[in-house]
Amino acid sequence: MEFRIDGNPDYGQIRVELRPGDRIVAEGGSMAWMSAGTDVKIRLLGGLFKALIRRLLANESLFVAEYSHPGIGSVTFSPATPGSVAHRRLEGDSFILTAGSYMASTPGIKLKTRFGGLRSLFSGEGAFLIECSGTGDLFFNAYGALVEKEIEGSLTVDTGYVVAWEPGISYSIRGMGNLKSTILSGEGLAMNFSGSGKVFLQTRTMGGIAGWLSPFCSG
Amino acid sequence: MNLRIVDRGAFSWALVQIRPGESFVSESGAMFRASSNIDIDVTTRSKSTGGLLSGVRRMFAGESFFFSTYSCTDREEGEVGLAPTLQGQIASIPCDGVAGWVCAGGSYLGSTGGLNIDTEFQGLRGVFSGESLSFLNVTGAGTLLVNAFGSIEEVNVTDELTVDTGHVVAFQDSLSYTLGKAGGSWIQSFLAGEGLVLKFQGHGKLLVQSHNPDEFGKTLGPLLPERQS
Repeated sequence: MEFRIDGNPDYGQIRVELRPGDRIVAEGGSMAWMSAGTDVKIRLLGGLFKALIRRLLANESLFVAEYSHPGIGSVTFSPATPGSVAHRRLEGDSFILTAGSYMASTPGIKLKTRFGGLRSLFSGEGAFLIECSGTGDLFFNAYGALVEKEIEGSLTVDTGYVVAWEPGISYSIRGMGNLKSTILSGEGLAMNFSGSGKVFLQTRTMGGIAGWLSPFCSG
Repeated sequence: MNLRIVDRGAFSWALVQIRPGESFVSESGAMFRASSNIDIDVTTRSKSTGGLLSGVRRMFAGESFFFSTYSCTDREEGEVGLAPTLQGQIASIPCDGVAGWVCAGGSYLGSTGGLNIDTEFQGLRGVFSGESLSFLNVTGAGTLLVNAFGSIEEVNVTDELTVDTGHVVAFQDSLSYTLGKAGGSWIQSFLAGEGLVLKFQGHGKLLVQSHNPDEFGKTLGPLLPERQS
């Protein structure tokens, strides 16, 4: 399977060339255009019960669709938000994505949804994490630019800006500073990362743009 | 008439220079600047298309009811600047008067006075899916300006291509199309959040946009406060 990422940093997209036997799994709704004759199968990520819980608690669906072609075809995928798209090759290792950051993966990658902890519900961001493991190609996206940050010691990040991180890193969720400064500064909850490895961040948040738009919505 | 696309990329806009006797039509609301000798005539219809009824049809199609027509009030050249609502590219499409074009309602920015714009209504299926599905038929000779959410790519369809309706910008009417779903059953398709697709067949040019405005709206919408009605 060959792929190409076009349009970064503003309008990243993935173009995948499918040959017989190739399969790619992608977030539902991300297909932009594809060759005629492409076979599409819709799948629930993590079973019906888990999907229902996610729907109820976090308004996330996480359906995925699997694309294949009996001959030679191509499929183009776009994220819902403008920004950068990235590729990561997994070789039996794993990678953790926040729910809205997952775009696509080859079938050798196992996707497991994980509840991010009750406190992450209040951050206004996705409460679920996707743990990706196995061998294959993984694609994810950021709203805005994608910032790769190597951690030495620890790093504090506003939860809304977190896209992904490497498995050697652990995190805890807490307020930025004390309760008073959390409320007054408009900063959300923060994730405090520690360990060694990389954290991937985005430079805009949907929560941010929604918060800015909200005062204009009444009426 | 001289058309120029300025600041290509995320925030492009178009500058239209109109000579006396010429006219230019745009989606109403797209004009952000005009020289003082420009007259703006806001109508419910575009030139040579049928009256109030087609305006009402446009309203049902989810499109703005009005088009603006610009012309010069004196013997000097005038200019109009057009800016789309969403961030993204603008493309200009030369229409030769032989092959017609079909433009997605949300992608229409403007057209030179010689082009006929007619609304095509896609029917109830489009309404139930929650997606705005309206097309403008563009015939005659002149230049059509389209805008996009993201970047625009021109695809030369020689056989068949399936495109999510949210990514269609414009296409030559030599292409035929059917409305359908990407795959699976209707229920699966709905649950998965897969939008409707257009299956194009034949030979012709097709312009697609990199990003889907509906998908962006669906992501942003739930984060906004409830509408007070």
